Amino acid sequence: MRCRAYILLLLLTAAGSFANGQSAEPGLVKISFVNTVTGKPILLDSTVFTNPFSETYTITRFKYYISNLALTFPEGVFKELDSYHLVDQSNAQSLSFGFTALAGTYDGLVFLLGVDSLRNVSGAQSGALDPLNDMFWTWNTGYIMAKMEGRSPQSKLVNRKVEYHIGGFAGVNSVLKNIKLTFPVPVNVSAGKTTEIIIETDFAAWWQQPNELKISEHPVCSSPGELAKKIADNYSKMFRVRQIINP
Amino acid sequence: MKPGVIISILAIVLGGLLLIGAGRKEETAGPPDYIEWRIPAGWPKPANDIFARNKLSEQGFQLGRKLFYDGRLSKDGNFPCASCHQQFGAFSSYDHDLSHGYNNTFTTRNAPPLFNLAWMPRLHWDGGVNHIEVQPLSPITAPNEMGENLDSVLLKLRRDTSYLRMFRAAFGTPEINSQRMLKALAQFTGSIVSANSKYDKVMRGEATFTYSEQNGYTFFKANCASCHPEPLFTDYSFRNIGLPVNEFLNDYGRMRITGDKKDSLKFKVPSLRNVALTFPYMHDGRFQSLNAVLDHYNSGIITTQPTLDTLLHKRIPIAGRQKNDLIYFLHTLSDTSMTKNPRFSGELKNFIH
Ligand code: HEC
Ligand code: HEC
Repeated sequence: MRCRAYILLLLLTAAGSFANGQSAEPGLVKISFVNTVTGKPILLDSTVFTNPFSETYTITRFKYYISNLALTFPEGVFKELDSYHLVDQSNAQSLSFGFTALAGTYDGLVFLLGVDSLRNVSGAQSGALDPLNDMFWTWNTGYIMAKMEGRSPQSKLVNRKVEYHIGGFAGVNSVLKNIKLTFPVPVNVSAGKTTEIIIETDFAAWWQQPNELKISEHPVCSSPGELAKKIADNYSKMFRVRQIINP
Repeated sequence: MKPGVIISILAIVLGGLLLIGAGRKEETAGPPDYIEWRIPAGWPKPANDIFARNKLSEQGFQLGRKLFYDGRLSKDGNFPCASCHQQFGAFSSYDHDLSHGYNNTFTTRNAPPLFNLAWMPRLHWDGGVNHIEVQPLSPITAPNEMGENLDSVLLKLRRDTSYLRMFRAAFGTPEINSQRMLKALAQFTGSIVSANSKYDKVMRGEATFTYSEQNGYTFFKANCASCHPEPLFTDYSFRNIGLPVNEFLNDYGRMRITGDKKDSLKFKVPSLRNVALTFPYMHDGRFQSLNAVLDHYNSGIITTQPTLDTLLHKRIPIAGRQKNDLIYFLHTLSDTSMTKNPRFSGELKNFIH
């Protein structure tokens, strides 16, 4: 605890000394995720979507890890401490989270899509990283960084299942993605007030650019490797900042 | 500062301490009795310190022991860890090539013995598991092992007041969560050390080898120790020793984890400590006796497999006499002070509740 307070202090002073016009009083930052397919909201098990190859599908599960989040300003970053979040479309509470940040003006957001390699090799974890969350491989230790499950008539799997469990944290098999988003307008964090940053994801990104992936050819991905890396290359482009609500 | 201010600060601090103390009485326990974990003399330091972030305590160990022997960790109550890892077989599945799992299933590999795990950098025959704490997730959730899921295990444990008491004693509060359960199991399995066989006594000058055992030891050092080095009798590397592929299991070992063809048919070098107790042998339990294992090294190695270890390209010729001596030596690695230690047993009289 003391150690953590110390780190916080260090970060605060670092941020404070870089950013101009930032007072020492912290404000609250709320980050919300709106998951969509090309802007259409995802209703699990119900909405039928069509991918760029005219294949239709429904989504039954959609979850991903956001970790090591930080707000950026021209001279540095403000890091969220112990930053591990599981965004799960089936759990409304998981779609937003908040943390206190140093007051001031920020121009962007960086985070890791997935769980950093250190936490993948450090034994039993808790909270968002609890293996109870069903985002952990037991036969080949490591977190599933992002998961989509659904159904599609074009799938040749039993029960027309579509299942993408994307993971791999080490060496050539790493699917970890550093995501950097620039705010359309400056984000102001002010003492005692809440600023909200709304991020929209577009699941359609999983199908193409740079890699075209058809359900008929790839209905499943359940281990680290080439296919997982291709899907991760695609989904790394699924985020955009939809709205900033300054206090 | 005025004395009045100092006094009022003191009063606030003291009041706070009293409040914390009052809360503690209900929910929290004092710190557990930490145990110092000793590395046997002359042994290397473990590559990663498994007790660094999971401080070993008597209460944590006892909780781990109870969990290890508790059938409730499995779906139907019949498959505790100990059903496949039996103490008298050095915590392997005694006399089973593959072990029985939930609902009339079999495991797809031979259950390895459990000891000296603190030195093992990667667990399972293919090294797929990278930390002792997360290892139990694999058997608990595998349909052909314990067939359970974590939620349901935790629910069962939370219904048992003796567990609430033991979690509180080990971790300060009665909260039962997956992290605590896994850490407690690691305190138990990680504590099992085997370092007191006849071989160890000879090395410490407390016993002597017979003529045959000495011959076997000499042969071992020349022919086997490059992969099974002392004092752990393994280097924990992954190697192919030229076993033909079992056509039912189609197990290619390490390649499943790395996806690299160079790792095809490589399996973790097992420790040979307690090897006389851990038959049948190899990742699929294909050999019933040490005799059969030595026949493999002598004449069975498939030398055409591309990933065969270079040390075995010429096989290891073992003459009849040498074979007997080698087997005598391997028997000196049995450590009954571990396999019969009541501290590791599941007998109720040894449990502290
Ligand atoms: C149904 C039989 C079965 C049960 C029950 C079982 N195991 Fe195992 N255990 C195995 C098998 C088989 C392996 C080898 C797995 C592999 O290599 O893929 C193994 C491997 C291990 C290993 C790795 C050892 C090594 O040398 O790599 C540990 C540690 C272990 N088990 C502990 C446990 C614990 C703790 C439990 C209870 C939570 C448990 N096992 C329950 C069969 C079982
Ligand atoms: C090239 C490395 C290498 C050499 C040399 C080697 N071994 Fe092994 N040994 C292994 C590996 C790897 C396994 C596990 C293979 C498997 O299960 O697929 C093994 C397994 C064994 C087993 C089975 C243990 C068990 O619990 O299943 C025994 C016994 C054994 N070796 C004894 C010996 C003896 C005796 C020698 C010398 C004559 C020797 N080994 C030489 C790598 C080696």
